[in-house]
Amino acid sequence: MVKLQINGKTVEAREGEMLLAVMQRMGIEVPTQCHHEAIEPTGNCRLCMVEITKKNWDGWKKCVTSCLYPVEEGLIVETHNDKLFEIRKTILDLQLARSPHSDYVAKMASEYGLEKSSYPVEPQGDDCIMCYACTRICDVLGKSAIAPTMRGHEKIVAGPFGEAPPDCIGCLSCAFICPTDHIKWNDKGNTRTIWDKKFKLIKCKKCGKKTITREFADYLIEKRELPSEYFDTCDICKRQETADTMGALVVKAREATI
Amino acid sequence: MKIDSIAKLDKWRKEIQTKQKAIKTKILICLGPGCLAGGSDKILKEFQTILKKKKIKDVLVESVKKTGCHGFCARGPMVIIEPLGIFYSKVKKVHVKDIIEKTLQKGEIIEKLLYKDPDTDKIYKEWRKIPFYARQQKIALRNVGQIDPDEITDYIVNGGYSALAKILKGMKPDEVIDQVSKSGLRGRGGAGFSTGRKWVTCAKAEENPHYVLCNGDEGDPGAFMDRCIMEGDPHTVLEGMIICAYAVGSQEGYIYVREEYPLAVVNLQKAIDDARKFGLLGDNILGTDLCFDLKISKGGGAFVCGESSALMRSVAGEIGEPRAKYVRSVLKGLHDKPTVLNNVETFANIPVIIEKGADWFAAIGTKKSTGTKAFSLAGKIKNTGLIEVPMGIKLKEIIYDIGGGINDNRKFKAVQTGGPSGGCLPADKLDLEVDFDTLADNGSMMGSGGMVVMDDRTCMVDVSRYFLNFLVEESCGKCVPCREGLFQLHKLNEKICEGKGTEDELKLMENLSKTIISGSLCGLGQSGPNPFLSTIMYFRDEYEAHVKKQECPGGVCKKLITYKINDDCNGCMACLSVCAASAITGKKKEQHTIDEVKCDRCGACYAVCNINAIDII
Amino acid sequence: MIIDSNKIQKVIDDSPQDKKQLIMILQNIQLEFHYLPKESIGLVSEYLGMPQSTVYSAATFYKSFSLVPRGENIIKVCKGTACHIKGADLIIDQLYAGIGIKPGQTTKDMKYTIEVVNCVGACAMAPVMIVNDKYFGEVKCNRATKLVKKG
Ligand SMILES: Cc1cc2nc3c(=O)[nH]c(=O)nc-3n(C[C@H](O)[C@H](O)[C@H](O)COP(=O)(O)O)c2cc1C
Ligand code: SF4
Ligand code: FES
Repeated sequence: MVKLQINGKTVEAREGEMLLAVMQRMGIEVPTQCHHEAIEPTGNCRLCMVEITKKNWDGWKKCVTSCLYPVEEGLIVETHNDKLFEIRKTILDLQLARSPHSDYVAKMASEYGLEKSSYPVEPQGDDCIMCYACTRICDVLGKSAIAPTMRGHEKIVAGPFGEAPPDCIGCLSCAFICPTDHIKWNDKGNTRTIWDKKFKLIKCKKCGKKTITREFADYLIEKRELPSEYFDTCDICKRQETADTMGALVVKAREATI
Repeated sequence: MKIDSIAKLDKWRKEIQTKQKAIKTKILICLGPGCLAGGSDKILKEFQTILKKKKIKDVLVESVKKTGCHGFCARGPMVIIEPLGIFYSKVKKVHVKDIIEKTLQKGEIIEKLLYKDPDTDKIYKEWRKIPFYARQQKIALRNVGQIDPDEITDYIVNGGYSALAKILKGMKPDEVIDQVSKSGLRGRGGAGFSTGRKWVTCAKAEENPHYVLCNGDEGDPGAFMDRCIMEGDPHTVLEGMIICAYAVGSQEGYIYVREEYPLAVVNLQKAIDDARKFGLLGDNILGTDLCFDLKISKGGGAFVCGESSALMRSVAGEIGEPRAKYVRSVLKGLHDKPTVLNNVETFANIPVIIEKGADWFAAIGTKKSTGTKAFSLAGKIKNTGLIEVPMGIKLKEIIYDIGGGINDNRKFKAVQTGGPSGGCLPADKLDLEVDFDTLADNGSMMGSGGMVVMDDRTCMVDVSRYFLNFLVEESCGKCVPCREGLFQLHKLNEKICEGKGTEDELKLMENLSKTIISGSLCGLGQSGPNPFLSTIMYFRDEYEAHVKKQECPGGVCKKLITYKINDDCNGCMACLSVCAASAITGKKKEQHTIDEVKCDRCGACYAVCNINAIDII
Repeated sequence: MIIDSNKIQKVIDDSPQDKKQLIMILQNIQLEFHYLPKESIGLVSEYLGMPQSTVYSAATFYKSFSLVPRGENIIKVCKGTACHIKGADLIIDQLYAGIGIKPGQTTKDMKYTIEVVNCVGACAMAPVMIVNDKYFGEVKCNRATKLVKKG
């Protein structure tokens, strides 16, 4: 265990734990965008910044992102002060200019008293805040079908050549994790569309309900070593099936004991 | 032939010495970037062709040597005849015959090719006496311009690999690190971190393997010292790295070279191949237990790849996005293993420190910035070129005594150091001593050593815009403050250049800069606003002229100036033919006029007019 | 322009099959074809067993890679600090007047491509222009087009 001080309070934390986790446990709130439990932190948004120092640093302080900074013995952490407020506010101000149509950004910004951006707004700006949540989750759950492409201000998350990503399996992880709902998808009839790519959905053999995409099913079958017909029926029918088999077994057992 | 013992190395060195003594006269021809642009490769060929046919006492075909950058690029292409040190500058192919017939055959000096100081009219025969050279002290650049970079023998005869032999003969790794620490050497790549301390940390790291990396990315526009070292003396980089490998216990290293330097790659590769062939790289170096090998990793054109975590990702074949890990790369670097990353010039200093001792090195320069520093002098300065000076030298000594002052004797306005992370220092800072801390305390930084001099026709608002534009293009785009912040800062700066900026926006820019500095993930963003902050700190009046009066005092910002032809015009038609907008009219030998409406202020006419008949208003 | 994918495959096959060498393999392809043909992204991804998105990401991150065909002659105008203050923009303007393209563009007849580069390390000779690896120093703007045509 490591002892440190956050906003004047002494707390204990596990070695290797990140500051943000400890702060959240203490009920201290700092804004975050790119942080998500399911994926490795990368520190893109910089909103979770805190100011740290140590007794022997002679009053020298530095700003670090709490989502990435592991706890250290004797660390003295400040999570809210004028400087940090200004950093967070300016970051949101910049995002307001870049993503003027995003409700998500607007809501966070309004908490800092920002109704409109101080900077020239980009009317065509989309809702992507470049938090990499989608690409990171795709690296973990999917097949790294999308990635950050280009660089600097032109950077976008996309498949190769901005076209339908060949490796995409239509699992929707990216769309679900995206904090700003920027990644659009839909299921129409038997077809799912995401990233301009169309997928056939599997129809449950029993009830006819549409479940997941064939590509996703094959991927899971291979990765988790499932039987190849595993996804032929939907979850509900599968449960029903199990219940039926179990029921039949119970009946059989009872008959046997009689 | 493998040199598998230290004794053999010494013997080999003696053999080369004897052989080279036979070549009494040496003709050194600089093939550095500047001279090459002036056609020095043709001069080299011409010498070789003529000398093949001619018999001259003491002169052989082998007397002609190609070298890396000799330094005085402004006077290139140059030919130096040793041992007398005769310095012929601005040489053309047609002069070669003359040089051979007069100087080499008869010992006559060709006066018109000698250097004449434009201020004193003094003519110099020997290069070492020229003020440009006389004030310098060369350590990292000791061989650059003196030896043929392709010949390992040239390096060896000049004492090459003897530092390596010295440590292998009788120094323990921690003794080597001790010397480096005591020398006070600080990293020459920009931040000035203590090299010894870096090495200790890596040496002590328990995880294995350890890597040694050399940063040859040299992304600062306006800097070319590392290029000249890699091209002109590649073996010194290798020797520095091998010594480091011995000290920190590494068997594998990489040199990261930016892709704009193809010749550096070729020369380094040749050096690596040769070193391997002779047993100076690879298994059992010089017959000892030391095993270390090196590879070159070529960059792909990204400034941010000079940043340590980005560089390591790039070496590993990934995109060069910096990683935010609060674990230092010396502990978790390449492939997450302990790694020493040093700059080219840092490594080039190592063999000399080992050879001559830490105390010798520490006595040069200032207390906290020991040794020398290489700079590339460029911009509106007379003596552009590559120099190396002791730390603590005054800026004005560099610019006036070595650099010869400003072109066309115009007024000095600023000197930019440290590239996009650095800043601009004005005339009243010319007395500053050049070292890591003084420059940083004054809003600039040492950086890797680019020095760009600006005169009164430079607009500081435009300079800031230039660097911000550079950084916007080079930002990796990962974190918000840098990606969006620098983008907006640049846009606001551009507005000022167009005369549309407001005082409120200037304040906004200053505030935004603070967030970019403390909020960004890596050094690029953290130092990105420096060019803006340093120019507004020292040249606020210029910003105000743009904002309040819509004027550009430097006469650069297109939207705020007009070109007018004055009475001096002699009707030479030069401006008319170059004007792409067809805005200039006038007859031959009569005064011309510029149509203000048609003119797009490109400035081409101004640049071609030889008699200053065009005014910027 | 049609490029035989067998030819691309050959370049790839001659390179080490190691993910760490991704950038080098792309450089080798570009060396051969002067740009990265579209097919090369898929072929490299297959060879190295890595997702296409990763290969494409690298190809777009590094500025030296071009995903569109480039002209026979590559003109590089340096816009390093020294070249900037010594009038690199003038060269660009004059080249536009002379051959009708701006940086990043290629002439219709595929003869020339102009690119802007950030410092080539020949600052002492600023402003600098490079035509097919041949350096021109202290370029006078009114001579730029002539120098290019002479090569
Ligand atoms: C954006 C950025 C670009 C950099 N570019 C270079 C470079 O081109 N060459 C270099 O040696 N160091 C560069 N550095 C500094 C390196 O990160 C690192 O500090 C240096 O290579 C360490 O070597 P040294 O201690 O010998 O200076 C850069 C840093 C940043 C943040
Ligand atoms: S500061 Fe700029 S270059 Fe560095 S990680 Fe952030 S966006 Fe990338
Ligand atoms: S949550 Fe985005 S940087 Fe920490």
